[in-house]
Amino acid sequence: MASFELEGHSSSLAVLLFRDVTNCKDLRQLVVSGRVNPEFAFINAAGVLGLLPLQLAAHKALTNNSRGRLVTKTLHAELVYNLSGSKHIGESFKRFGVGDDTRHLLVARFDAAPEDLAYVRGLVRGAEVPLEQLADLADGGAAAKFFKIGDHELAVGSAEEAVACRIAVRDCL
Amino acid sequence: MEVDRAAGEASTSQPFDLEPIVRLENCKLVSQGAEARVWETTFCGRPCIVKQRFSKKYRHPALDRKLTVTRLKQEARSVLRARKAGVPTPALYYVELEASSIYMEKVEGRSVRHLLQDGLLDDAGVARVMADVGRLLALLHDGGLIHGDLTTSNMLVRESDGAVVMIDFGLSYNSKLPEDKGVDLYVLERALTSAHSHLEGLFDQILASYKKHSKQWSATFNRFAEVRLRGRKRTMVG
Ligand SMILES: Nc1ncnc2c1ncn2[C@@H]1O[C@H](COP(=O)(O)OP(=O)(O)OP(=O)(O)O)[C@@H](O)[C@H]1O
Ligand SMILES: [Mg+2]
Repeated sequence: MASFELEGHSSSLAVLLFRDVTNCKDLRQLVVSGRVNPEFAFINAAGVLGLLPLQLAAHKALTNNSRGRLVTKTLHAELVYNLSGSKHIGESFKRFGVGDDTRHLLVARFDAAPEDLAYVRGLVRGAEVPLEQLADLADGGAAAKFFKIGDHELAVGSAEEAVACRIAVRDCL
Repeated sequence: MEVDRAAGEASTSQPFDLEPIVRLENCKLVSQGAEARVWETTFCGRPCIVKQRFSKKYRHPALDRKLTVTRLKQEARSVLRARKAGVPTPALYYVELEASSIYMEKVEGRSVRHLLQDGLLDDAGVARVMADVGRLLALLHDGGLIHGDLTTSNMLVRESDGAVVMIDFGLSYNSKLPEDKGVDLYVLERALTSAHSHLEGLFDQILASYKKHSKQWSATFNRFAEVRLRGRKRTMVG
């Protein structure tokens, strides 16, 4: 578990990483039927190339929320949507949300209380591991393909930065 | 680190004045240009530069808003395009259209202008930086991007590895026309002459490297030669 301060928002984001989760199908059902309470973002860790994209997506969700301009239904759904750098909502959830075949899971919540974390730990069946393991659990090849990150770009910056740029540029397309 | 100060002295901790919701604390003004203010802060725990365009009072408000947003979007898109072409730029973190702001990685280093004017590079250092600039411009142009404001202030040399990093894509646009590339190069030549007149041959070094790295060298160079001739005639006439 780690918690990140989101500058300028007086908010924080708590993030947990679980590996080899066995009940993703059930979790997906809970999410789509709105029965996760309090709300959490359930994220397929395979597509997340680092903590920077996650923090940027969180910042963006908070800012748009405070302007009353969320594109999705909830703040936590917006966080998942923002990870994709794509305007296509369905596609974004398919890639970055929890799916039946998700293996490793990132779970995040804004301003989480200790009991919120206990609640979600009770929901997820998998081994909670340190966030540092995210780099090993992400599928770099698939993500590079999805984000269309080529060798030229990797020569001037990390894959994580490449994703950050796409998340930032989405609203400029 | 020292940062070039465009105009006026830096003040500290001024909040944004364009109804931004993200109010970052500890923002420090590092540059106040004609169209934008540049702030330094921390974002996602990283050193960050926020470039905020401000409105022009003489323009019609609605038109002004539209122009600002168009430029902002173009600047962000161009940064990504440049990176895809292999040109180092600050990584983008966030574009807040409502506050006319772009958040990006802060590059630790100094501008080429600063390094040249203060004589901080030896001959080999100058040659290396000029060669890098020429190579990057070739990549940029071959990738169909015109920078639009090529000056030595808009090129930083990164402290950690000495790489040249291009910034300030606010006037950039997409084009593959030799004419546009030629004008881009001519703008740089003029900028070098006016800012670094005591140094000779800078532009030739850049051009030699550009030639080596561009696949469209001859078309671009022919046009550049014409643009330069036009420019010289214009200056002679007055
Ligand atoms: N990513 C960055 N990292 C470090 N310094 C930066 C960065 N971006 C901008 N700066 C500093 O701020 C100055 C102004 O930035 P920039 O050129 O983008 O804005 P501008 O207002 O368009 O400038 P100009 O005066 O050329 O119109 C730069 O010359 C540089 O010193
Ligand atoms: Mg500039």
